[in-house]
Amino acid sequence: MRIERKSWNDPVLVATVAPLALVMVAFLLVPLLMTAVLTFQTTQYYRLVWTWDLKIWTEVFSKPHYWTIMIRTVAMALVCVVLTVLIAFPAAYALATRLRTFKTQIQILIIFAFLTDAVLKTFGWILILDKNGVANWLLMHVGLPPEMLNLLFTPAGTMIGMVYNLVAYPMFTIYLSLVRIDRDLILAAYDAGASRVRTFFEVTLPLSRPGLYSGAVLVFVLSLGAFLEPKVLGGGTSPLASELIRQSFETRVNWPLGAALTVVLIAIGALMLVACAAFALRRTSATGRSA
Amino acid sequence: MTSPIIDASGIVKDYGAVRALHGVSLQIGTGEFVALVGPSGCGKTTLLKILAGFEDPTGGRLEIQGRDMHGVPAASRPTRMVFQKLALFPHKTVAENIGFSLKLQKVEKAEAERRIRAMLDLMHLKPDYLERYPAQLSGGEQQRVALARALVSQPGVLLLDEPMSALDAKLKKSLQAELKKLHRELGTSFVLVTHDLEEAMMLADRICVMRSGHVVQVGTPTDIYYRPANMFVAGFIGETNFLPVTATASGEGMDVVSPLVAAGKTTIAPEHVSPSLSTNGTALLVRPETIRFVRGDAAPGEWLLDGQVEEHFIKGASTQYRIRIHGLDAAVIMDLPGSIVLPAIVGEAVRIGFDPAQAFLLSE
Repeated sequence: MRIERKSWNDPVLVATVAPLALVMVAFLLVPLLMTAVLTFQTTQYYRLVWTWDLKIWTEVFSKPHYWTIMIRTVAMALVCVVLTVLIAFPAAYALATRLRTFKTQIQILIIFAFLTDAVLKTFGWILILDKNGVANWLLMHVGLPPEMLNLLFTPAGTMIGMVYNLVAYPMFTIYLSLVRIDRDLILAAYDAGASRVRTFFEVTLPLSRPGLYSGAVLVFVLSLGAFLEPKVLGGGTSPLASELIRQSFETRVNWPLGAALTVVLIAIGALMLVACAAFALRRTSATGRSA
Repeated sequence: MTSPIIDASGIVKDYGAVRALHGVSLQIGTGEFVALVGPSGCGKTTLLKILAGFEDPTGGRLEIQGRDMHGVPAASRPTRMVFQKLALFPHKTVAENIGFSLKLQKVEKAEAERRIRAMLDLMHLKPDYLERYPAQLSGGEQQRVALARALVSQPGVLLLDEPMSALDAKLKKSLQAELKKLHRELGTSFVLVTHDLEEAMMLADRICVMRSGHVVQVGTPTDIYYRPANMFVAGFIGETNFLPVTATASGEGMDVVSPLVAAGKTTIAPEHVSPSLSTNGTALLVRPETIRFVRGDAAPGEWLLDGQVEEHFIKGASTQYRIRIHGLDAAVIMDLPGSIVLPAIVGEAVRIGFDPAQAFLLSE
């Protein structure tokens, strides 16, 4: 489809777009700019001092502690992306191709789980992961040593919570990509002499890339800001960026520092997304035209 | 017919409680062009899918190149399919699409490239299309790529599932001509599924007319047009007229009479009688181009009918009249050569005539 370039002189178009543009400017752009401005100030006795210097930035770049947490956050987000996609793909594939009979029921269950409040779900995991929780109880009953799992208040616990809370996103994006694949393409691959496995790797997987990429991006962005899981299931033993930023603002009442760390997190996320987008575009630019 | 490359006998296919094919038998010769024709839901596509190996028959036996195809997957059959919606891989270039089966067969790269280029040549596609994606090609070009992709592995049988139904009329005509030429040059057996009997007549050596899971008639285009097995086959191509008659055997031929015609008994020669004639609803098939307006006396043996002009359509080279005849449900259709002055106007009372000896006797 050809996209027509509309002119700024089109009054109807400007009128339709203006409200959204204003909202974006007022509630996204202005706060972002304020955050950026804040990073060049300092605090004294818990009060903001307008100085315009690089004191905060020098602090951010000179303390490895902050960077340990930033790197841990990105690493956790990447692991979370890999795990959610690995879990979501087979589930979406089964939903799109195999489980025709109970498809609607399963979709409703996934949506219910997805829409349940994240705080509730995350606390629910404590019951399972606790030393005396359901997981260990089950393991004990199949004859394994009791209290074998010690996941609560570890990064692994955090990860379980993050994966659980985010897995529905790639499941739906991948599902939507898979159901759009024309069945005749699969038959055409068989007809050309391809086995089922070969057909999957030659046709199904490449054509589900849009869903894979969009699901991965969603999970990555959301897990960079993961706040609840490291607190509830990680027990604060290995905090992630959001906890660090919260502490800077609330506990230390150092707004410029919190703002600077926020800018760093946004910059890391944006850079990684741009890199991924460049990679994805290079691989799908030609096929994208057919959609 | 030369030795059959496809030998299907008693093919039955059930979808749950619904029987889609009721014991279909069909032989297709090596290098033959066979068209499977019928209205939608007649089972022609199901039969094609069974030949391709996309569907397993519920019963019956299918042999391709003398090998029993029971349990042989589509991937190992000597057939290749051109899909209705073409099913070109959108994420592969033209070269990758055409060369896909060669890649799977692990054909050496240089050899594969040579064969892909040869296919491109055969299909009159420009070499710089190789690196393009299907979405960047026009409908006709995509069609050629789909044909090239199917033919590159030199299949014994090419299966075509209405591949031209989505094209505009002009492009369709030129591709039909190319398909026929291609078939002549390659000597591969073609099986074409179509709902367009005219297309089937233009292209195929033999036509298999199907209706609700049964084969109604298999024959050459001439057989199908001039010697249709029954009213269904006759009515399938173009517009025709059926005049109900009573038929009685008389020596080699048949004697027919119609209560609407005063002329009385006429004998129809045996070659003008359908071989599968039954007593159920016998009728004369009268082609629109064999009917004329009668102003004066009737020609010897001619049957006359009186009626009123219901409508006329000026088609340029010809003019079509629809004549309402008292006692007939459907209007009689006649095609006259076009003329500057119309021979009759709407509402005019007219007398029409045709030679019953040139008509064809069949039944429902």
